[in-house]
Amino acid sequence: MVISPRLTRRVRVIVAVVVGVLMSAPLLYMLAGSLMSNSQLSDQPPQFIPNSLHFGNYPAAFSGMTQVIEVRSFVNSLIFTVGVVGLQWVLCITGGLVIAKMRFRSRGLITALFAISLFIPLLTTLIPTFIVTYKLGLINTYPGLILPIAAQTGFGSLLFRQYIKQLPEELFDAARIDGANWWLMLRRLVIPLARPATAAYLAISVLTAWYMFLWPLVAAEGGSLQVLTQTLATVGTTSNQGAVTPQNVIFASVVIVTLPMILVFLAVQPAFMRGLAGSGVD
Amino acid sequence: MSVTQLPEPLLVPLGASPVPARHLRKKRGDGRWAAIIVFPNLAMFTIFIIVPVLGGLYLSFTSWDITNGFPKWIGLANYRQMFHDPLVWQAAETTLKFIAFGVVPTVIISLWLAMLINFRFRFFTVVRSLYLIPAAMSFAASAVVWRYIFQDGPGYGILDYVITRFGVTNPPDWLASTTWALPALDIITIWLSLPIATVLYLAALQRIPDSVIEASTLDGCGAIRRIRYIIWPGVRYMTPLVAIVALLSFTNGSFDLVRILTQGDPINATQTLIYYIYFESFDFGAWGYAAALSVLQIAIIAGILLILRGLSALVNRW
Repeated sequence: MVISPRLTRRVRVIVAVVVGVLMSAPLLYMLAGSLMSNSQLSDQPPQFIPNSLHFGNYPAAFSGMTQVIEVRSFVNSLIFTVGVVGLQWVLCITGGLVIAKMRFRSRGLITALFAISLFIPLLTTLIPTFIVTYKLGLINTYPGLILPIAAQTGFGSLLFRQYIKQLPEELFDAARIDGANWWLMLRRLVIPLARPATAAYLAISVLTAWYMFLWPLVAAEGGSLQVLTQTLATVGTTSNQGAVTPQNVIFASVVIVTLPMILVFLAVQPAFMRGLAGSGVD
Repeated sequence: MSVTQLPEPLLVPLGASPVPARHLRKKRGDGRWAAIIVFPNLAMFTIFIIVPVLGGLYLSFTSWDITNGFPKWIGLANYRQMFHDPLVWQAAETTLKFIAFGVVPTVIISLWLAMLINFRFRFFTVVRSLYLIPAAMSFAASAVVWRYIFQDGPGYGILDYVITRFGVTNPPDWLASTTWALPALDIITIWLSLPIATVLYLAALQRIPDSVIEASTLDGCGAIRRIRYIIWPGVRYMTPLVAIVALLSFTNGSFDLVRILTQGDPINATQTLIYYIYFESFDFGAWGYAAALSVLQIAIIAGILLILRGLSALVNRW
């Protein structure tokens, strides 16, 4: 090799940056497109960096002839996400503790059930799930929207199991000697110590819930429980008034829906990386 | 990106978690407390997962559609119909193609990307974010953006514009072409799956000490030999996990993207099994038949998982 290590390193940084920009290019293009006028968008050759900025696309996505996003579906998405993630967290951290640290006969069976459930896509059990929810009288209600998804505890329980299992046994022994029961150990020991696992869990489950498409599609037939993903799915074909929504407003709408998740994702990124790094592979 | 972190029971025999001997010193188990604490979880899991799965299995042996109000037991008739339905075979083939042409590139590209960013430099965190940010997007949102990127017609589509600049004279119609529609959906799903896969490989790479790689370079080890003898043995244990994560993502993508972008068109070229199930149940109202198709879908996923387990044994020796 005649090339100096310093030059190799510099080339490597440049390649890493260029490929990184390419990887996020569709996102960056969406952001650029959301700030262009329609004539800028259809320019030939295409503009990648807008030569003038149009912020009007954002209010246009919320109102008037071009409305894509109803405040109502934004609120529904929020209620759905908070409901699913909050309830599921309680179920998963308790389930994780039980299969990680407690001794009882059917532990292996429960663990296996959780693992198997990961590979049964919701779509294949959609009709029976719908029937169960219907029989409970929950179709077109918030509980009907939230409960069946919060019940998908397989993934979260196994994630918490993974983390709780490697907490030192001595901690639990000490707590036991101090007379603590499992409920107390859950509250005082497991929940505080499993904070990194909770962060990784949040990163994943908030995204999943916010973007859930299929279940809200069938569980909320009426318009009043519509969530954001549904409004996005129909956009680009027709708008509320039957007119085609302009592409720049579509881009602005996607940015509005995606931005909260990008912020969540960047905020939990360190914990997410740590959670992944120590996951399922040790 | 619904599932990114997989538990180790998938990689070791199910239910085989050994209890360390010292746990057994106390004779009485935690049965009562375990039952109390796990009850809410298991109750919900039973009502909304186990009951629907068993219910679906039952429905697959019934004739139940829009015309008759009650499921009627018809034995194996749905399964017989399934084997004679050419659309089922086509959809199964499309699904397998979609998964194979998606998972394999995801594994290879993500390993390459992880190697690319596995070194420290000044704006490492910012650059890493560029690689990770697509993970914050949904199928629905990316579908809307990629529909525009894939747009066809003379001089319209962004992607077609870019590739003509690189000398391609006859760019494909992408979503409107029977040849290119499925690869187009694969490209979107690969793009969405890469961040998580890259992070997983990166985690494995960061455990290989820098000194080992440096030493190999000093010893005159070329790039290919370095990958083959140092990097690959260090990261291959991660490959089954990456493949499983990608498989889950492609299973979901085979519905969401098809539903939003192509509805199975053009001429059934993108009709995946899972979309066919949706079509049979919600557009056609043949719920009994759709239930039998669902059993097939689950069987296919189970089959792929078994193959992956076999492959992972192979990979770890190679």
